[in-house]
Amino acid sequence: MELLGVMLAILGAAMAAGWAGAGSAIGVGIAGESGAGVMTEDPGKFGLVLLLQALPGTQGIYGLLIAFFAILKVGLLGGEPIAVTAYQGLGIFFACLPIAIGGYFSAIAQGKTSAASIQMIAKRPEETGKAVILPAMVETYAVLSLLMSIILLNGIKL
Amino acid sequence: MAPAERFAYAVARLRAMSGRLLEESLIQRILDCEDLDSALKILAETAYSAWLVELKGSGDFDRIIEAELSNAYTEVQKFVPDERLVQLCRIPYDFHNVKVLVKSAILVREGGERRYDLLTSLGNIPVEELVVAVESEDYRLLPFGLHRLLPLCLSQWEQTRDILQVENSLDAGLFSVLAEIAVATGFDSAVRWVKGRIDAENIRNLLRLKRLDLDIAGAASFLHEGGWIAGEKLLALLNEPVESWPRVLSFSDVSGVFANVPDLSDLGALIVEMERALDEYVSAILARAKYEAFTPENVIAYLWAKEMEAKNLRIALVAVANNTDRTIARGLLRHGR
Repeated sequence: MELLGVMLAILGAAMAAGWAGAGSAIGVGIAGESGAGVMTEDPGKFGLVLLLQALPGTQGIYGLLIAFFAILKVGLLGGEPIAVTAYQGLGIFFACLPIAIGGYFSAIAQGKTSAASIQMIAKRPEETGKAVILPAMVETYAVLSLLMSIILLNGIKL
Repeated sequence: MAPAERFAYAVARLRAMSGRLLEESLIQRILDCEDLDSALKILAETAYSAWLVELKGSGDFDRIIEAELSNAYTEVQKFVPDERLVQLCRIPYDFHNVKVLVKSAILVREGGERRYDLLTSLGNIPVEELVVAVESEDYRLLPFGLHRLLPLCLSQWEQTRDILQVENSLDAGLFSVLAEIAVATGFDSAVRWVKGRIDAENIRNLLRLKRLDLDIAGAASFLHEGGWIAGEKLLALLNEPVESWPRVLSFSDVSGVFANVPDLSDLGALIVEMERALDEYVSAILARAKYEAFTPENVIAYLWAKEMEAKNLRIALVAVANNTDRTIARGLLRHGR
């Protein structure tokens, strides 16, 4: 039963890092394609394009953070291994879900918004400020998912 | 990746390229010029400057317009995920070339001269290939159904000696190929655009037929199938005065075009005005593309905007070259980017 608890915690950590990372990869990829399109015509926009392309990458970092918290909690990163019951392991698994799911979808959505914003600065460079705000709005929901995962992980007593 | 996201790169690049489309104010500045040299100096500030060095004389401006348009087509064709979208925009030029070649072939048979100077490089088929195919009468490798249509048109000429019928068959072939390719792309926007173009062409033809006072039986062959409005509904318009056409067509979007034309009573002036209004109607079909970040209609919208730019520039330069009334020229300019 103890092994099952640890396995569930590892599964949660893997999902948090994997899904949020996958979402970020897709999001950054979409924004990158748009960025490459704009820079082919106007290489001078590299700085702005890079900023907008990097925005969907944060979800992957959040996912990795939660994955670290989860495996730290069960003592897999140094120190003494902690006895984890199946219920506790299931709790850690569920705690990882907000950032896994929220991170995956918000990163893709943010990638699309970033791509649209990159197109916006291609046509209207004077609207750069607004172009950064729009994809940053999507970040709110990734941050909320991260907070929920942290709160839930902290709530699990081992 | 979802089909729409395939266009992320292409649409972003097109957005950047659309920043170089000529502003309306620049066309107005050209129209304000007193002579062609000053107009070309203004053009030298734009993307057209690359072609100005090839200019043989100031009256040769059509060559630079064609060179810029051709460059736009070639560039877009290189990076667009579905080449058929560019093909759709270029096919009318292929059929234009075929018309020129067919008419030249007829002229030569009648003892006249070829008019190959009217051929354009804007089509999908290289001009040389088309010329060789027509001169050697070997049409087998011609695409877009031209391998069947070309010999058909020539035999139609032999039988009827009616060039209008030959042109009509080629136009019917053009719109049928456009509709076929648009459906094959699987993009609704391409289908809507082609349907809109067919409707616009049918309305244009109807106005000309109305001026010729042709009866319904004679007019039927000049209308093309595949638009939003059925052929019989369009033919019924011939029995109505032009003033009531907007009411009869009120079920379709094209009726709005008549609202943009000030005077419906003067048929001659109306035909000229409708050229502009119908082009703007086709532009309006693609207008929502600017709100979509990944849709393929952005490709057609950019190329169509480039076409409109070429038309506006030609109108402005012809007006300056011939020193005609600038107010008339301004009235002919296409709006809505």
